[in-house]
Amino acid sequence: MITTPTTPPERPDVLSLEANIEARFKTAVSISQNKNQEVLIALERPSALGALCKFLFWEAGCSFAGLVVEEQQEEWQLIYLFLLPGKHWVHVSLLIPLEDPTVPSISAHVHAADWYEREAEDLFGLHFEQHPRLGDFVLHDQVWQEGLAPMRRAFDLRQPRLERQPNQAWRPTLVVKDPGAFAMPVGPVYEGGLGESVHFLLETVGEDVIRASPRLFYKYRAVEKLAEGKTISDGELLAERFAAKSAFAHSLAYCQAVERAASLDIPIRARRLRVALSELERLRHHAGAIEGICQSTALNVSEAQAAIVEEQLLRASCSFSGHRYLFGLNTPGGLRRDFDVDICRRLLSAVDRASGELRRLEDRLRYTSSFLDRLEDVGSIDAVAARDLDLAGPVGRASGLPNDLRREYPYSGYGEYSFDVASEKEGDGYARLRVLFFEVRQSAALIHQALESLPPGETRTAIEHVPAGTTMGWVEAPIGSAFHWLRINEAGLIGRYRIMTASFRNWLGIHAAVENFAFQDFPIILATFGLSVTECDR
Amino acid sequence: MSAWVGAALTLFFICCATGLTLSALVSNRMAAFIIAWQGTLCSVFLMLAAAARLIGGHDFDVALWMLNGWGSLSLHVDALSAVFLFTTGLVYLSCSFFVPDYLIHYFRERYPIRRYGVLYFALMAAVVIVLVAGDALTFLIAWECMSILCYLLVNYEQTQQSDTSAGYIMLAMSEGGFLAVVIAFLILGSKSPGFSFVSLREAAGSLSTLASWGVFVLGFAGFGVKAGLVPVNFWLPRCYTASPPAFVPVLAGVTLNLGLYGIVRLNGDLSPGGGIGPGLVVLIVGSISAIVGILYATTENDMKTMLAHSSIENAGIVVAGLGAFLIFRNSGSAVPAAIALTAALYHMVNHSVYKALLYQGAGHIEATTGTRDMDRLGGLIRIAPALSAVFLVGCLAIAGFPPFNGFVSEWLILQTLLRSALLPSALVKVVFALCGAILALTAALAVTCFVKTYAMSFLGIRRGVWTVNTVLPARRSRLSLTILAVSCFLLGILPTYVIPVLDRAVEPLAGVSVTTSLVPPFFTATKENQQLPPAFLQDFHNLGAQTGARALPGRGLVILLRGSEENPVVFAMSPSYSFIALVLLVMGTWIVVRRWTRARSLAKRELWAGGIPRLLPEMSYTATGFSNPVRVIFQAVFRPNVVEDTRETVGVHFRTAIRHRRNETHLVDRIFFHPAGDAVSWIARSLATMHHGKLNAYVGYFLGFLVLILFLYRLG
Amino acid sequence: MAFWFWYGLRNGIRSTRYPAAPESSAGISPGRPLDTLFADPLEAARAAANCPASAITAVDSLARVDFKKCVFCQRCHFGTRDELHWDASFEWTQRHSSERGYEPLPRDFAHSLHIIVVDAGDCGACLNEVKQLNNPLYNMHRLGFFFTATPRAADVLLVVGPVSENMRGPLIKTYEAMPDPKRVLSVGTCAITGGVFGQTFTSAGGVGSVLPVDLEVPGDPPPPLSILHGLLVVTGRKQPMDAQHSPVNEVSK
Repeated sequence: MITTPTTPPERPDVLSLEANIEARFKTAVSISQNKNQEVLIALERPSALGALCKFLFWEAGCSFAGLVVEEQQEEWQLIYLFLLPGKHWVHVSLLIPLEDPTVPSISAHVHAADWYEREAEDLFGLHFEQHPRLGDFVLHDQVWQEGLAPMRRAFDLRQPRLERQPNQAWRPTLVVKDPGAFAMPVGPVYEGGLGESVHFLLETVGEDVIRASPRLFYKYRAVEKLAEGKTISDGELLAERFAAKSAFAHSLAYCQAVERAASLDIPIRARRLRVALSELERLRHHAGAIEGICQSTALNVSEAQAAIVEEQLLRASCSFSGHRYLFGLNTPGGLRRDFDVDICRRLLSAVDRASGELRRLEDRLRYTSSFLDRLEDVGSIDAVAARDLDLAGPVGRASGLPNDLRREYPYSGYGEYSFDVASEKEGDGYARLRVLFFEVRQSAALIHQALESLPPGETRTAIEHVPAGTTMGWVEAPIGSAFHWLRINEAGLIGRYRIMTASFRNWLGIHAAVENFAFQDFPIILATFGLSVTECDR
Repeated sequence: MSAWVGAALTLFFICCATGLTLSALVSNRMAAFIIAWQGTLCSVFLMLAAAARLIGGHDFDVALWMLNGWGSLSLHVDALSAVFLFTTGLVYLSCSFFVPDYLIHYFRERYPIRRYGVLYFALMAAVVIVLVAGDALTFLIAWECMSILCYLLVNYEQTQQSDTSAGYIMLAMSEGGFLAVVIAFLILGSKSPGFSFVSLREAAGSLSTLASWGVFVLGFAGFGVKAGLVPVNFWLPRCYTASPPAFVPVLAGVTLNLGLYGIVRLNGDLSPGGGIGPGLVVLIVGSISAIVGILYATTENDMKTMLAHSSIENAGIVVAGLGAFLIFRNSGSAVPAAIALTAALYHMVNHSVYKALLYQGAGHIEATTGTRDMDRLGGLIRIAPALSAVFLVGCLAIAGFPPFNGFVSEWLILQTLLRSALLPSALVKVVFALCGAILALTAALAVTCFVKTYAMSFLGIRRGVWTVNTVLPARRSRLSLTILAVSCFLLGILPTYVIPVLDRAVEPLAGVSVTTSLVPPFFTATKENQQLPPAFLQDFHNLGAQTGARALPGRGLVILLRGSEENPVVFAMSPSYSFIALVLLVMGTWIVVRRWTRARSLAKRELWAGGIPRLLPEMSYTATGFSNPVRVIFQAVFRPNVVEDTRETVGVHFRTAIRHRRNETHLVDRIFFHPAGDAVSWIARSLATMHHGKLNAYVGYFLGFLVLILFLYRLG
Repeated sequence: MAFWFWYGLRNGIRSTRYPAAPESSAGISPGRPLDTLFADPLEAARAAANCPASAITAVDSLARVDFKKCVFCQRCHFGTRDELHWDASFEWTQRHSSERGYEPLPRDFAHSLHIIVVDAGDCGACLNEVKQLNNPLYNMHRLGFFFTATPRAADVLLVVGPVSENMRGPLIKTYEAMPDPKRVLSVGTCAITGGVFGQTFTSAGGVGSVLPVDLEVPGDPPPPLSILHGLLVVTGRKQPMDAQHSPVNEVSK
């Protein structure tokens, strides 16, 4: 049941962190704290950036949440977001003059930052020195011309389509240099289109696949650019709909960001309902992921049964909230609607049925050796590589990283609930499956805890005015931790909306950590990772 | 009839001599012309001589001149020689069109074609003399000339080829083989008055067991060098690869046969030997050569090297057939022995034809694209459709597909290896079974190898960067390819006419005729008074003997083996009927499909590759990738040493390159030559410890030696 | 392995009987907003202003819904004083253009239809709904509909997403790789009008500007039964909905 709230995070660690940084980097940095007790480090000397980030990531044990780039009036502002587990946010801020957009790359020290820098280079035109590979990332060289930088203010979102012929001279960059090596192309339309659009080059010399290079951003729709200039209410739609299978989670992060900016406390009933809905979404998402794993190993009966569970949860979501994917519920200040007792009871019985069915599936799958044979030791990522690439979500937890934002940095009242965080050590496909089943059980328990203790009251607090400034919201989405960063300008409109998702980080993990596997294992590896292309591409 | 043989042979030699002198005298351009037309003439006369002997049936003898104390140098054309002569003539006929065009277009006056012409005709003459030699002296002299001429032709492009040592190795190995053969003949002749084959044959019976084993081992090893048998064939891949493309078809189609001829002549004809020991050795060596050859061919990307390994494989199959022949003959089963020998000779003929075809095709590919590496070829079917058609015929033939010739001979050899029930000893039966299994495996691997060859060279998209050399085969060279392709086809669908011809060579060696056993007169069985039992006729009837009785001539088109009373027909096969059935089936299907389906429009669209803009060469299957499973499965044979296994990264995590290079030592080198070389080095090193430069020790050696001599003198 | 066989059998047949029988289980469809007659033009105007996708236009007191633009934000459903009427339907397939009629595929395809799906930048919901058609509750195989892996064997191209610029080329290639006769079905509001993504430098604003579209299934996302209805319309087994507006409902507050 609900326990008493835990004690607030201890301060001494933060102080020691600040002291360490000050001792080491002296005049290169200036440290302060903002009203939300976030540590702000402003870099005086750009050259200290790499060493500072390395210190924060490796020695202080922070995880790297993302890089936010903003084009301001006179300079570029880059904010590197680090999260000290369970404790505090650390923002490292760097200002670069507009005319000279050169930044030292930190990807050699913090490997998880690799793709953030490539994305910034493609979208903003920044140049990161000593980054091993820039270009052809978001804006594919075959489609777009060089130097476009669409995220810059001067670039008009609605400009007409530029007609350009594909670049005939484009060649993929291949890693395997053996004579007679070749790269099998998969996608972007593959699996009959029932897989999301992503392209792979599987490099091989004929037997095993030595290296798989994914090519993402076929689904790039410039959500961050679309948000600029929109009202906060219109921004809700974008937050929900760029990755609809985690719609509630992302809209929750967005709303929490706005509520944080407005220093708003939302009613307890709304908090509990939000927890219940988040966990409902997680339950349904994981049912779909389990179905995907069973489908990839061609165990058709369990795939069908898991698919039935997912569909039943979708129907239960629709009966409960009016929409199968929980659209249109979150709003800054709470929820748009209320739910009466009968509806909650029906939802609880649907959840019980679903989790019972999944438990039965799990019990039997554990004894199906032909199924386990295909999952064990497939796509293994060990704990060292997981930490190195800062993997998030069930993938990270299966490799021994016990990170979970609900536990470490509780939001929406998660600190009051009792639940366990999954943790497995092997890091192979079977470990990831076990993590999914574990989280299904935890989600069902959390929904019970939330709905059985709903206090009466409002589900929404009205927000009159959101003050200008930057704010951040975070959430443990079904795939992993997601961070939404907002800057609201004087007129109350969105000035900059930055979305940093777990899929973006974890795709780098597939790229870097999975080598030397049999070709037949490829769909299984993809299914056990369960990553979302649309969440990464935005 | 023997007069015809003599006449044709004389004309042949005259034409050769004419060609030789003319080539030496005229200009380069004319020399090519001479090679073409005079060469054609020579080949035609050669084939006429062979045909006259085979059809006429009488041997031709001529004594050339007498040498004091050595005996006479003579020529003797018997049926066995005639078979080899015919094959040689056919290969030379096709080469005579191919060679000059190649020389003119692709050498571009870089090397004097006149010299090539002289060597060409001289080699032709030497080869023929080897084949028709009537005594050991002629044989050996001509053999030596042939070896040297081969070396000269192999090293023809001496300033250009990267590996001139290949020719030297071939020469050294040839000389070593020659030495062994000489000693073999000397041992054989130790009990005989003269060196003529007739007297050698008679004297062979009085050799002791040890001597006859010595003759066998030395002869087999010596001829095995030329034939390309494991373990003395390590010169072959290197040499075939380094030879000029104009000469390689002759190397593979003619000189390899000389080794086989030598084995048949020495071990089959002159000195049959007692017991089945030699036969077992021959069978085992043949089977091992076959499997090793095809394994290395399948994993090889350079086309000429691949074809060289495939020649090793085919020679191994022929030799395995010869081994079966020897075993059956010395066990008393004459008919299976005859069948085995027929199959071996048939395979020899087939191999010459399709290997010459493939090598000529490879030469054209190399001239068209500038590369032999199958990893970089692809898409040639659009550039050279005619070449791709004949190359396909060659690939199908060598892979053993009906209706081409490879099928018939491989099938017959496998069938003879299945007849081990007739053998006395259990050990021999086991060996037969194992060798049969090995040969079946080589047949399967041969299919893999040549599917890879054809697909990677001609089909798909262009993988490498090369510009098409627009000088494609001229019309005359197309003629040469066509001759060979048509021969492949005819040898495949008319085996029942080939086997009686080969029978003329087989009968003297095996003792029985194979014609009545293997190709009984199918349609005239009921009419003539053949001694065929009623049960057999009944089976005949069931096989459809009456079909076409009035339409088709004499022998019919079915190969079948007559067995005993209980089992009249042991096996039956007809490539001709299969071919007819196939044609009818295809035509029938086409007609049915066209008649019964509505008219459909045919749209040609771009290749579907998942939506990417274009399928790039990096994305298509390479030859290495295709054969990698074979390399992995037979890893114990290849045993690659990992030379480089690096994973380069930038900034620790960003992978930029993965390099995984392996170094492979050939199986034969690993097992025989490196240990042998190491042993020799070890002996030399041990002996070298004696040479430490101290004068006192040397004096001591003298003293010791002196004492030893005195001691031995005392004892003796 | 025998366990799985019995496990599947024991769970029985769960497929819906649609289209043979109407389907009305709970949660199969979110329903759709209908044209609603308000008490006065002011309320209708407020309702129209409430819609972030500009799908509602006020004509006097009537609030008209252009369902092709509706993104299902549900703001007109609850939480506001100007709520529209919602029904519980799911048969929403319409022709792409009302001038040109729709010619269904020939009769041979009616019970043997092969579909290739292209994800042209969708948010994941439409694609997930399409995938649900394979599960036992909907089981489109019983109707003779199959997904293929290659456009060479496909009759219908089903597109989800607003066609991001990077996917424009692959989408056109997929269409061109299909043999005739073929039809294009765009599923989801994003594929029809661009949805929340609209028409930008990296979004074509709907499949209609890239390919010749035959039928459209609006919804955000349309539930599986709507997509099934769309496939039935493609083969001519059902008729497309009239593109005209839905019947008018009085506001009964």
